[in-house]
Amino acid sequence: MTTAAAGALEGLPQEHGAFTGFLLRLVRKKLLGAASAVVFVVFLLCGIFAGVLAPHGMNEINPINRMKPPSLEFPFGTDNLGRDMFSRILYGARLSVIIGFCAAGLATVISVVVGVTSGYLRGRFDMLMQRLVDAWMTFPDLVILIAVVSVVGPGMPQVIVILGLLYGIAGSRIVRGAVVGVRENLYVDAAQALGAGTLRILWRHILPNVLPPVIVLFTTRVGVVILAEAGLSFLGLGVPPPAPTWGGMLSGSGRAYMYQGPWLALAPGLCLTVVVYSINMFGDALRDLLDPRMRGTG
Amino acid sequence: MTRTRLMARILGLALVLALPLAGGDAAGQGAPKPQYGGTLEIGTVYVTLTALSWDPQDWNWKLNHDTGMFYEQLFAADLDKSVRKGGKHKFYADAWLPSDAIRGELAERWEWKENPLSVVLHLRKGIMFPEKPGVMKARELTAEDVVFSYDRLDKSPKKIPTYFDHIAKVEARDKYTVVFTFKEYNAEWDYRFGWGYYSAIVPKEMAAVDAKNWKNAVGTGPFQLADFVQSNSQTYVKTPGYWDTEKLGGTVYKLPFVDKLVYRTIKDEATQHSMLRSGKLDMLESIRWSVVDNLKKSAPQLKWSKWLNMSGTFLAMRVDQKPFGDIRVRRALNMAVNKQEIVSAYYGGNAELFAYPMHPDYHGYFEPLDKMPASVKELFTYDPAKAKKLLAEAGYPNGFSFKVQVCSCSPDHMDLLPLVAGYLEKVGVKLEIQPMEYGAFLSAMTTKTNAPGYFMNNGHTNPTTSIRKSFVTGQTWNPSQYSDPAYDRKMQEVYLTRDETKRQQMLREMTVEILDKAPYVWLPTPYIFTAWWPWVQNYNGELRAGAVRPGPIYARIWIDQEMKKKMGF
Amino acid sequence: MLPYISRRLLALIPTLFFASLIVFVTVRLIPGSVIDMMLSQNDIAVGKDRAQLEAALGLDRPMYVQYLRWAGAALRGDLGRSLWQNTPVTSQLLERLPVTFELGLLALMVALLVAIPIGVYSAVRQDNAGDYLTRSFSILMLAVPSFWMGTLVMVFPSIWWGWSPELKFVPFRVEPLKNLSQMIVPAVILGTSLSAVTMRLTRTMMLEVLRQDYIRTAWAKGLTERPVVMRHALRNALIPVVTLVGLQAPLLIGGAVILEQIFVIPGMGLLLLEAVSQRDYPIITGVFLVIGVCVMLINLLVDLSYGTLDPRVRYRG
Repeated sequence: MTTAAAGALEGLPQEHGAFTGFLLRLVRKKLLGAASAVVFVVFLLCGIFAGVLAPHGMNEINPINRMKPPSLEFPFGTDNLGRDMFSRILYGARLSVIIGFCAAGLATVISVVVGVTSGYLRGRFDMLMQRLVDAWMTFPDLVILIAVVSVVGPGMPQVIVILGLLYGIAGSRIVRGAVVGVRENLYVDAAQALGAGTLRILWRHILPNVLPPVIVLFTTRVGVVILAEAGLSFLGLGVPPPAPTWGGMLSGSGRAYMYQGPWLALAPGLCLTVVVYSINMFGDALRDLLDPRMRGTG
Repeated sequence: MTRTRLMARILGLALVLALPLAGGDAAGQGAPKPQYGGTLEIGTVYVTLTALSWDPQDWNWKLNHDTGMFYEQLFAADLDKSVRKGGKHKFYADAWLPSDAIRGELAERWEWKENPLSVVLHLRKGIMFPEKPGVMKARELTAEDVVFSYDRLDKSPKKIPTYFDHIAKVEARDKYTVVFTFKEYNAEWDYRFGWGYYSAIVPKEMAAVDAKNWKNAVGTGPFQLADFVQSNSQTYVKTPGYWDTEKLGGTVYKLPFVDKLVYRTIKDEATQHSMLRSGKLDMLESIRWSVVDNLKKSAPQLKWSKWLNMSGTFLAMRVDQKPFGDIRVRRALNMAVNKQEIVSAYYGGNAELFAYPMHPDYHGYFEPLDKMPASVKELFTYDPAKAKKLLAEAGYPNGFSFKVQVCSCSPDHMDLLPLVAGYLEKVGVKLEIQPMEYGAFLSAMTTKTNAPGYFMNNGHTNPTTSIRKSFVTGQTWNPSQYSDPAYDRKMQEVYLTRDETKRQQMLREMTVEILDKAPYVWLPTPYIFTAWWPWVQNYNGELRAGAVRPGPIYARIWIDQEMKKKMGF
Repeated sequence: MLPYISRRLLALIPTLFFASLIVFVTVRLIPGSVIDMMLSQNDIAVGKDRAQLEAALGLDRPMYVQYLRWAGAALRGDLGRSLWQNTPVTSQLLERLPVTFELGLLALMVALLVAIPIGVYSAVRQDNAGDYLTRSFSILMLAVPSFWMGTLVMVFPSIWWGWSPELKFVPFRVEPLKNLSQMIVPAVILGTSLSAVTMRLTRTMMLEVLRQDYIRTAWAKGLTERPVVMRHALRNALIPVVTLVGLQAPLLIGGAVILEQIFVIPGMGLLLLEAVSQRDYPIITGVFLVIGVCVMLINLLVDLSYGTLDPRVRYRG
């Protein structure tokens, strides 16, 4: 085994103790990353336990209470229909977690499968794949989205599948680019010369070295998907009300009532920004720590 | 009305008439003298929509709005009857003119003849088409142009079928006389071809050029189309030698006053308000009530007017399906919704309980709610107990559930429907809300496959059309599938009645009847606001001088450029 | 190289037509046909006039006939006419494509101007305060949705100072300065949010490359840092950047719908959104075709540049 490959395996937690070691390294070397990780975990927990944490319902319309500024009873104020913003933000976290992770996960799986096979196998297969990717990417995503939304109606599964597909296929180019670079490395040639099978090479050599950009891709995608849903809501194509997605709240009542009730926009906007920021910083830190070639530096 | 009331009215009238006579000269001196020049930047009522068509042959509803500055019509609003000039009309209605406020635009006078039933129209003399290179040389408008315009509309493949069925033929008797011969009387005769949606008079040279190309557009109007950037702006420039005039302060002025008119197309609301605040828009005609306070604070010099939306909001129920075939169920749902609370809490007080299907601006046709019979008033009174009782009587003591389709394109509806659902749930009726994309939503109605519940807005258009298009059997805009042959016959009779007072009475009765039958859950109608900067003169918030046609209004506006400069814009 | 290019160009044609066929059929199958929408505009219309309108619009023929007609005309450069406004699709595209392209180009320039210096700096001075700060700024720009940035820029200056950006559109060739003054604000907003991704990728690849053997060799040879960084590392690190440019190609051609809406820019994004909402089939297929051709060409250029940038990549015949 070459030193580079051994180094790659070292970065991945192998035994029980390695995980704690990893956490310690995270806090010691990447403080900002660690802080971001904490925020990220809080976000996840809020999302999972929204039902328990929220003082009011997700959609408790109560016109008497409309447009109340933040107070003890309503920590984030109420919106134009009298709903408690704090509860809606919590439920929104749950939606964002689901949409973000599912779509990003789907996208990453697609990117890796397409990118790795295409980049490694090259030749005719690569040619065909890339032409298909080209063709897919020229589809204006708006057309696809409106088509799907018109036939099936607006909804969460549609958004997840479409965003997952779109970002997945687009991201495959980045993965392919990385694979193309790694493939030319000496040790891959060496492994091939030694008679190693394709799958073994993919798993042992290509994948671990491509992992850093893939991790970055996944973490970026979670944030990007959450943001993309916000953009879609702005155009009226996102998860429809009364679903309390942060993007939907920001682009809907947040913008419509931004003069009378800035908290309508501040709450979801800040949450969006903070969470997406943390996801990205955490992803960066993770990649820095896991990258075999980053070890021993800084 | 009572004696005292009559006396008060006469006195009031006398005062109003006397005032200008008494302070006439003083008023003339006090009022600023109109200036010529400048550019008017307008965010119209349809600020989010770009021009869809430039050719009347397309039969597009929005055409008058964009072409009404250059394509004139036989009749138009008599703006001298506006409130601004001491009259009583506000000219907010989107496609209706009160019969006492119609004047001849291209037509100077007209008379009715019997046997055969016909109208003889005499055109004004000396109205000129300006020169348009590649299309036509400057020349006078003649009866042939009117006949040509009518024929062109009539032969279009996009024509609304039966629209001109009441007309036997249209011909030019001489250079300035047009004769319309009718098969039968139709109460909408002057609306259908006169001042309505499809009444533009184009030069006969249009036959030889591509009329759909905006670069070929030329008409007799006060402004000509100079530039069109789709989805961004439309620019109109003054027509030299335009025929119409306006009398202000005793002096007669040639129109138009401004040199250029620009329509801005701005999809985004926040952008519209920003442009108004910064003075880049001189006027913005359609502003939601909830942002008015902020605009008044950030731009206190703006002048305001408010008008009741010319469109009704409602939840249509399919009367051809269970359980809505039972009138008790429909009435129960009306009583279960707290409409007063919607007015006070959802619209902040800026709405009226009842303005659809008849609008308060339709003088003579409209009856206020407090004058209506008790059975109608009941539908606008919140009474969940009575609603439950009615539902139980109809066989639904525990309520029921039904699907409601709503367009996800309307943020307002997406907010309002859950509110209504909340009220209905309290009497056991559960709504299953199905948001749909615009095209699919519309299609559900036009193919008559819409769900039992259908939440939408529908424009009034005018007192007759408002009822006809939604409550006559088989009409496109009839999502409740309401069908009553007796009612259809009444509608037909309205069209054949020549006496307007009689028509008004018939329509008042038909309004009461349909309200009572409650095919819809009638919902409150909000107020909408118009704002303009004080340098925009000779304007008081009027919106239309024909069917969606503001051209004559804009022609009479002048800009006080010194004031504008002094205010720092 | 040449056989590679020509094979790519040849592959373009079947791909485009296959994809265009899919789009052609899909839009016509979306519920809510254009006929329904047109008929609903005229409140008197009742069911039977569908046939007349369909015939007038050429929609009465079977699908494959319609497609063949369109394809045949497209090969001659005629993309049909808008169903609503009857204007030729090609002239509309010619008006709006340069606008979108200009916005995209300006945004990309802003993104690269911001991202590459930050990315390089971050890689070279990894993990010091400067690295954190610049990276944080860049990611912050990513985390704020573009429509929100756009709204803030549009609304608050008008409340505080009574100023709003110039929104009357003039084409670049008519009045370049005025045009740029309208484009610059949305371009900066778009560019800063794009810069984050670019910056991180640059940083990543720079870091990887800096540790490569041949860089170490150069250092060992005594070459000073800057030329080493510039010449060897940057060249390799540009690969993901170029990939990114390729990825943003749909943005260059297809437009940024949200910003176009807020800043009233008559670009391709809005054209497509309106066309799809109105089911204006010829415009949709026409827009798609143009986007398709341009994006594929850009991707071809991107792939070719891999060859120049990464000496290890060779294009096997």
